[in-house]
Amino acid sequence: MNRTLWTCGSVLVMGIALISMPGCSKKSVQSGGDSQSTQGMAKGGTDSSKSGVGSFPDTGVQSGGGGLRGLDKNPSEERLGSGTMLAKEDPSGSAGRQMDEISRAEQAASAAAGLRDVFFGYDSWVISEEGRQSLSHDAEWMKSNPNALVKVEGHCDERGTGAYNFVLGEKRAKAARNYLVELGVAANRLSVVSYGKERPACNEHAESCYQQNRRGRILIKSGK
Amino acid sequence: MTRVKLISAWFGGALLLAGAVGILESGAADVFLEATRPDFQKISLGVAEIANTGGSDWLAGRIEEVLKHDVRRSLVFDLVDLPGLGIQMADVRNGKGAGSKAVFKQAAEKGVSVLVWGTATWKAVGDQSDVNMEGFVYDSGSDEVVGGKRYAGSPSVVRQMAHRFADELVFRYTGEPGIARTKIAYVAQQGTARELFVMDYDGYDTRQLTADGFLNLMPQWSPDRRFLIFTAYRNRNTQDIDMIELATGKRWTVISFGGLNITPALSPDGNFLAFASSYEGNSEIYRLDTRTKAIQRLTVNPSGDLSPSWSPNGRELVFVSDRGGGPQLFLMSSDGSNVRRLTFEGDYNAAPVWSPRGNWIAYVCRTHREYKLCIISPDGQKRTQLTTGPGIDDSPSWSPDGRHLAFSSTADGKSHIYMIDADGKGRERLTFQGTHNSAPSWSPAS
Repeated sequence: MNRTLWTCGSVLVMGIALISMPGCSKKSVQSGGDSQSTQGMAKGGTDSSKSGVGSFPDTGVQSGGGGLRGLDKNPSEERLGSGTMLAKEDPSGSAGRQMDEISRAEQAASAAAGLRDVFFGYDSWVISEEGRQSLSHDAEWMKSNPNALVKVEGHCDERGTGAYNFVLGEKRAKAARNYLVELGVAANRLSVVSYGKERPACNEHAESCYQQNRRGRILIKSGK
Repeated sequence: MTRVKLISAWFGGALLLAGAVGILESGAADVFLEATRPDFQKISLGVAEIANTGGSDWLAGRIEEVLKHDVRRSLVFDLVDLPGLGIQMADVRNGKGAGSKAVFKQAAEKGVSVLVWGTATWKAVGDQSDVNMEGFVYDSGSDEVVGGKRYAGSPSVVRQMAHRFADELVFRYTGEPGIARTKIAYVAQQGTARELFVMDYDGYDTRQLTADGFLNLMPQWSPDRRFLIFTAYRNRNTQDIDMIELATGKRWTVISFGGLNITPALSPDGNFLAFASSYEGNSEIYRLDTRTKAIQRLTVNPSGDLSPSWSPNGRELVFVSDRGGGPQLFLMSSDGSNVRRLTFEGDYNAAPVWSPRGNWIAYVCRTHREYKLCIISPDGQKRTQLTTGPGIDDSPSWSPDGRHLAFSSTADGKSHIYMIDADGKGRERLTFQGTHNSAPSWSPAS
């Protein structure tokens, strides 16, 4: 292992401010990540080799043989280390709890403002007539609240692969965002994020539940 | 060819296994496939008693049980029922007396190629406990006790002793390192969070790795088994790709572009990271040189491209694209050239993983609105559906010997981790705790 790659100093030298290295300031991690919007990165264009890439250890296989020594007619004792070499990440958990609080606050604010979510069909990211009505309502609210920033979260039901559902969720979120832009909302007031099927609103294996999870959630962005 | 020679040497003239001659003659290209071929003749192996020679009663039985499961799952050996064959192992203890000779003769006559037995001892050392295990191997082909192993360690490594001995057996008879010491990483629900866990390949010794209380998803192993690379939400607006070092719990971000950053996969030599990102618009596949940090965009398409998986030689990638409407599997060279569609059956094929032997690609196929596991040969000529029945199957991951797949399924209600043989048989459930376990990733062999 190249230990120099692990030091905070080298990360700073490399000018990569967005890396969250253990031991580096956790604050810079959060503010760095938060300040980086989808739109901001898109301006970065294709020359991304310097920005947003962290350090990589050498992960190639150094030795073969699997540590096996073969059978022996007079075997000598092999002492096995106590347990497997697995350590848990520094258990903060605070990031997640903070996220949950922000999430609840955003949902409460959005509900209070009367914002409406948009729902989708199976496998689909097409905005239905009902969805267009909901988004028209949301667009009117955004026009009368010109300082509000809105985030569209794309969600999926549990069917399909976890990986492809991220893409499907993003298509749903972008479809909703694009319709809001069509209705005259400034694009820079809207952001999208896909949660795939990883944050379902409902956990039953039933169509009534699936319908609720195929959702573009319209949320007022609060702070970070 | 060196591998062929080595295997010949291990076989000790191939006396013990008639089938081995045919396998070796079938050509170098097939050597890597020998035990996944349907005509592969398993080596009959009997595990006689692991005898308690002091200390706790459960100890020897536990080792014997773990060892038998490992032998069975190796798919290299056919685990024979020794008492069923009328073979009693009571006086074989040192493998040298007249009693042992009689037992060996009996085993050879009954067609048992390999006999395994051993002892286990638990003793107090000061205020600590120490466990000793001995294992011995008799080979009827050469009619001798070919060797053994002696292990010592704390009571917490009892299962590891059995796993290690099982891998030694596989190593001796195939030259492969075995899978009994491999691990499976996966995602488990904790409240509203999803955290990474690692367990032994048989579902035991579960350890938690991440603990940030948010979403940590879709882990993949580094080729050297020291790291996991995965998708993480470090805030509520963007995804990153992170790495965590298993031995220390150190974690950091390696890709933090905007938009989706998902399905990371390190190349077999560790020099490249393939992943999907939507930072330039829609989800595309990129290849990062992990040494120079140069990034190359491999796909250029207005549709979603994701889930790259490397061929074992690192020259090609299989990936998912919905450029035809629904998701389908495509192949391309690792520089993004020579793209061609692989799957044509069904309207939803996703989550491909190239087998370590190169001969199959496992993936999730949708038939009659059910999400099941399928395998297809890289030339598209052979295709088989592996799983049937209720439940959503997802995230297939090959064992490093290419003989099993781990996957998640909701077949029993909640999502849990299962393993299955590469021919669809031998289904086994691995997780029983928790409300949602998903995205298994099988470690490379050590």
